[in-house]
Amino acid sequence: MPLVYFKNVSKAYNGSLILDNVTFEVKSGEFVSLVGRSGVGKTTILKMLIKEEPPTKGRIFFNDKDINKFKPGEITFLRRKIGMVFQDFRLLSNRTAYENVAFAMEVAGYSEQAISKDAPELLKLVNLEEKANNFPHQLSAGEKQRVVICRVLAQRPELILADEPTGDLDPINAWEIIKLLTKINELGTAIILATHDKEVINTLEKRVISLDKGKIVRDEESGKYLI
Amino acid sequence: MFILIKRVFRTAWQGLVRNNWLSFTCISMLAISLIILSSILIFNNTSNNLINILKDKMDISIYFKRDVPEEDILKIRDDLIGNEKIAKIEYISQEEALKTFEEKSSRNPAIKRALEELGENPLAASLNIKAKDTKYYTEIINDIDNSAFKEKLITVDLMENQRVIERINSLSVGIKISSILVILIAAFLSLLISFNTIRMAIYSLKGEIEIMKLVGASNWFIRGPFLLEGALQGIIASFIATLILIPLIMWGSPRVESFIVEISMSLYFWSHFWYILLYQTLFGIFLGIVSSFWAMNKYLKV
Repeated sequence: MPLVYFKNVSKAYNGSLILDNVTFEVKSGEFVSLVGRSGVGKTTILKMLIKEEPPTKGRIFFNDKDINKFKPGEITFLRRKIGMVFQDFRLLSNRTAYENVAFAMEVAGYSEQAISKDAPELLKLVNLEEKANNFPHQLSAGEKQRVVICRVLAQRPELILADEPTGDLDPINAWEIIKLLTKINELGTAIILATHDKEVINTLEKRVISLDKGKIVRDEESGKYLI
Repeated sequence: MFILIKRVFRTAWQGLVRNNWLSFTCISMLAISLIILSSILIFNNTSNNLINILKDKMDISIYFKRDVPEEDILKIRDDLIGNEKIAKIEYISQEEALKTFEEKSSRNPAIKRALEELGENPLAASLNIKAKDTKYYTEIINDIDNSAFKEKLITVDLMENQRVIERINSLSVGIKISSILVILIAAFLSLLISFNTIRMAIYSLKGEIEIMKLVGASNWFIRGPFLLEGALQGIIASFIATLILIPLIMWGSPRVESFIVEISMSLYFWSHFWYILLYQTLFGIFLGIVSSFWAMNKYLKV
């Protein structure tokens, strides 16, 4: 049973087709990169997976369940199973790094004891224990992205969606984030990385799904950025 | 459950303190709304009190010709007391009327001299009638006008009384209707002011709400602290409004009293202080919660 299954999915905005009959699967624990030029539909695929956007046509399955049939309560549960890393970080601006991680744990129903034990450990894991009480505006871009990854990990998701996570980072910080994602994947969490960073893709040597004009043009194990 | 409540309170308090400028704006606007509403309520209540005072002072006095014996007047009084519209009748004899008149005009030697020159009591015996309700006065006057003892009465200014009574009655109804209208308009304006301010505040936090949704928070998990924050803003606004109302009433009350002596806003304010504070706080909480609820619903649809 695949973890994610896109079955003949199309998406149109105002009559303009962004995704055209896309079909692919992602297995549990897999690392998949979605590559293609800007506007090719990479982010749309990720948004549809967390039901931020509905597909115009086709069906999307997570753990064999059609997410289009999910009720509001099931969507919140789905979003705890699928962690999202954004290019623009999307941290809660009036909460500290620690509180951002703690919030994700509160949402998932963790106890106060579990939060006060796990949240500092997660921040320590990404070398941010000393900046736990800093607000997002007091953190660098790389630090913000590491807090986002902590927030995602706090919910112990089955799948992480990373939408251009290195887009706003300098090369050193970008590689730290990619290394972190690889490490998380090695520990068993599936990852879908949407990027147009050629260097990152070519170095990763993981499965690559290439998109062009709304269609999948290539799907290779240990693929390269060839668009 | 206890943990959830604790988290909601903690988050609401953090929101209030950390978004201090937004909180300040919302609280200020809520306080202004509450001041408008409370001032109108205080003014309306004091003017209603004025109407009640006027109504309480109202009565009908019927004066008897001087040759009508006291027994006849007392019999008429006993007959009238059976009228279900009448609450109380007081008999004032000629002697009592003179005594009261002399007391009232004791400082006026001209009147005293005039009375001495007359050599006899010029005043008539009378019955002071109080109705169970002011609306009965007109009917009572009509009853008297059509009664058998009308011949025994000195020409009474019944019509004049009737006009005053009708005017007070219509004034009372007018004040009641306009009070309700003004209160409704003020409540609507309060709701509009606070709703739009809180809507703008929540609009600036829509990104945060969307993030919370994407992290997997349920609508009520997100809503809870915002609603509590709205309620806390309402409570703080109510206290601020009260602190502003006190000097406002102290300043305004003597000025209103210089026009209409019976309207004492400060007396009403202090005698109803806890009641005003309570309803104002409850209305503040209501405004805060309802405005937050409406304003954020739109952003929860992510």
